[in-house]
Amino acid sequence: MAKDNVKERVNWPVTILLVIGLITIVFPLYMAVVIAFKDPSEMTNDIAGILSLPSHWSLDNFIEAIQVTDFFNSFLNSLIITVVAVVASILIHSLAAYAIGRNMDRSRVYKASYYFIIAGMYVPFAILMMPLVKQTAVMHLDNMVGVMILYIVFYMPMNMMLYTGYLRNIPIALEEAARMDGASTWSTYWKVIFPLMKPMHATVAVITGLAVWNDVMTPLVIMGGQGVNTLPLAQMSFQTAFSTNYNLAFASYLLAMLPMIVFYIVAQKQIIGGVTNGAVK
Amino acid sequence: MASTAAIGSNRRKTFMAILIPVLVLFCAFNTIPLITGFLYSFTDSKGYGAFNIVGLQNYIDMFSDTRILNSYLFTFKVAIVATLATNVISLMLAIGLSSKIKFKSALRGVYFVPRILGALVVGYVFSYFFTYIVPAVTGGESILASTEWAWVAIVIVVVWQACAQTTIIYITGLSSVPEDVYEAGALDGATGWDKFRYITFPLIMPSVTTNMVLVMKDMLMVFDQIVSMTSGGPAQSTESISYLIYNNGLSGGQFGYQCANAVIFFILIALVSILQTKFLNSKEEQL
Amino acid sequence: MLSKPVSRRALLGGVAAGAAGLLFSGCTTQRADGKIEVEIVSYKQEAVSIFEQLMEDFNASHDDIYLNITSPADAVTIMKTRFVREDYPDVIGIGGDADYASFVDSAILADVSDCPTSADVQKAYSDILKSVTYVPMDGIYGVPYVANAAGMLYNKDLFEEHGWTIPETWDELIALFERIQAETPDIHPIYLGYLDTWTILSPWNSITINMVPSDLARQVNAGTAKFADYYREPAERMLQLLDYAEDGPFAYSYNDACTAFARGQSAMYPCGSFAVPQILSVNPDMNIGMFAMPSADDPDDRIVVSGVDLQWCVAETCEHKDAVYEVIAFLNEQANVQTYIDDQRAIPCTEGDFTLDPLFDDIQPFLDEGRVLDYLDHSYQSSMACDAQLQTMLLDGDVDAFLEKWDADWQRYNRSVIRKVQDYESQQ
Repeated sequence: MAKDNVKERVNWPVTILLVIGLITIVFPLYMAVVIAFKDPSEMTNDIAGILSLPSHWSLDNFIEAIQVTDFFNSFLNSLIITVVAVVASILIHSLAAYAIGRNMDRSRVYKASYYFIIAGMYVPFAILMMPLVKQTAVMHLDNMVGVMILYIVFYMPMNMMLYTGYLRNIPIALEEAARMDGASTWSTYWKVIFPLMKPMHATVAVITGLAVWNDVMTPLVIMGGQGVNTLPLAQMSFQTAFSTNYNLAFASYLLAMLPMIVFYIVAQKQIIGGVTNGAVK
Repeated sequence: MASTAAIGSNRRKTFMAILIPVLVLFCAFNTIPLITGFLYSFTDSKGYGAFNIVGLQNYIDMFSDTRILNSYLFTFKVAIVATLATNVISLMLAIGLSSKIKFKSALRGVYFVPRILGALVVGYVFSYFFTYIVPAVTGGESILASTEWAWVAIVIVVVWQACAQTTIIYITGLSSVPEDVYEAGALDGATGWDKFRYITFPLIMPSVTTNMVLVMKDMLMVFDQIVSMTSGGPAQSTESISYLIYNNGLSGGQFGYQCANAVIFFILIALVSILQTKFLNSKEEQL
Repeated sequence: MLSKPVSRRALLGGVAAGAAGLLFSGCTTQRADGKIEVEIVSYKQEAVSIFEQLMEDFNASHDDIYLNITSPADAVTIMKTRFVREDYPDVIGIGGDADYASFVDSAILADVSDCPTSADVQKAYSDILKSVTYVPMDGIYGVPYVANAAGMLYNKDLFEEHGWTIPETWDELIALFERIQAETPDIHPIYLGYLDTWTILSPWNSITINMVPSDLARQVNAGTAKFADYYREPAERMLQLLDYAEDGPFAYSYNDACTAFARGQSAMYPCGSFAVPQILSVNPDMNIGMFAMPSADDPDDRIVVSGVDLQWCVAETCEHKDAVYEVIAFLNEQANVQTYIDDQRAIPCTEGDFTLDPLFDDIQPFLDEGRVLDYLDHSYQSSMACDAQLQTMLLDGDVDAFLEKWDADWQRYNRSVIRKVQDYESQQ
């Protein structure tokens, strides 16, 4: 952990175990990659057939997948929705968790609000779906803005839980010091608490971002059929009632996966960074 | 004295100013549609078009519907096994990935991949795995075709996918364990398991609570993997509650009936998680 | 905040009135350029390029109507969400299936008896469409466009190579299965993808249709018959099929079965014309044929299962039916139908001199003579999971339990339908 600590040696046994464990992930991933490069006529139903490499490596599937999904437009829409939902979640949910987390032990109102919001996590989306379709239409929110707002609400319970849990590890004394210096609650939050929660922000960003990025149901029912697609909506076109083009679909899914991996690696640095900052003094 | 009171009331106002808009937003897009759905549970609505009010008929029917009963049994069985398995595996992974290891970033990156893969890919790849590869190795039949064992296949896939997110939350939790605690532990001669048991574990107990609750909730709502792996079969042995609610509610035209199911399900899992939280919180305080 | 009173009032109002929706007209009005816009939402995503072409042709030749056809993915869900918003497309293109029955039941669709094109529809298909709704309806609620068919798909090249011939009775079919097993150990007589429960309905429909009264479901709903009296023999034949398929068919998906059939691992595949594109994607050069399931006692009584695959339904709210009918007439022009059926391997529902895909060579006489009946499962409630009940029976082989559960569940899941049927009967 700390640079000047006694043991800075690499823990090789753990490293080796983790590398061996990778098999459980690399093997399915290998199958996905191989399928993405194959032609439908190369699909067989025996082990050798599925594990064999494609007869020739070409990017045709990827190029066709890009065309079929109108990739760059769909990608942009997905990106806008995801970025807005993630940024808004970090700002709103952390703030709400701060207000609730710091008061729920002393005030019934906050405690009740906490459980009220957390309970929202358990509402099956299927029951909300049709009422929300109607409601968003009445409010003229049957579009990308509506989808973004819904995500901010849908992930509020989980993020609330994550943030309030994390806040418990941040001593109140830190705020009191700032308050003694005359800072308002509002500015104490943004100057002291918000930066301290950086590792949790990264976690929330990753979890919310991914859930939003992959979600198909919400955009389908709220803004489907209007010609504006997100990436998962566009990817539905690989599956029709009686036939699925797995090769194109897999190519498309792998393409959609790449930005998320980059995003995750960047966010991970923040989680590690948060530790080295040694914020908790 | 007066100024402290002023600060206190200011602080309270600020908190209220934060809380109220958040609650309004939440009610508008969660509570109100939920109430609407609740009202639909007293109708024979298909979700659209004309419908009749049927009173409590949907709720009465539910209790004599063996299919719904079986779906609850199946869902809870999968959820309990999968929640425990996911948390144990994820905690081990998180500790491993937080140690002084080589290729830390790369390893963390790869272990996260299952979370990113879409349901179609995961379903296809694992179906293939269970249908062709496992029987070739074991010489037996595919467990996907077995009414007795198909649920195990579902558990394996959901755990495989859920570990990624759970591991991150544990890694984040571990990152908030102050290093001087470790150091103090090291000075006291606490090592290995003891260090984990008495120092690390109590400090990450909030993450344990969070993860147990979050994973349990995700597992209780298991849906995607069922659709892509078994479609509820064989012989309806893997129909989860969410699968029934979606499938029969939206494509099956039983929207009103499944709203009733959803209401009962909501109440039930909210209760489960309150009990779970209470239990885990009491552990937190003990430690 | 705005949402709170609005949505609650809307719902309560709806509940009070006993009927939500249909309050606002969702039909498009005149466009800025003075043309009337006709909007069609079709669920045939696979035919998107055909319809884009037809749309272009139509718009180039009409200056008073603008036609807009969309074929989104998961179109049925999108249609349902639009119904919830009370934003009805003028025309929806769907199959003659359970969704259609449910849309008719919800009073969303208009009677199109006055559509001139309705007169050109083959009687067999207008009858099939009539059999889909829960209760017999007085009007006509869709103009059938094209149909598909199900039976036994077979590998023409394999049949030719080994001198196998098309069986006309059940005994001949079993004899053929036995012969294939004896002659070619590497080739299964049939391949089944019973992991996907819906695929079980294909052989079930084609076997059963030949062995039960065509209006059995309605008889049951009217309280004059029981399924148990008719379904035993078909169920036993379904069990018999398992002996001639690959081992453990419950582990293999629809996709696996299509792949196996395409690769010549089986000589036959009990499925419908709708599976052909998936099969050809694996083996584009394959020669596929289809024959009628020979499960009738007398070969002359054999029937082919065929259902309306795409029909034009008009929204009740539509205010410019004349324009809509003009569009439907255009789509049903012989040349345009031919373009569609060539591309999609479909069967036309209208009268005319069409050339069918060679796939249908063996069932052409049935189509010409109208010896076709609808898929039985179109009258099954999808929430009853009939396919899963069949799968259970095939797994445990317990026909008695299957029959008993089927009749009991039927009563349960069709309660509102039965009530409607009995009301209807009492009014007659």
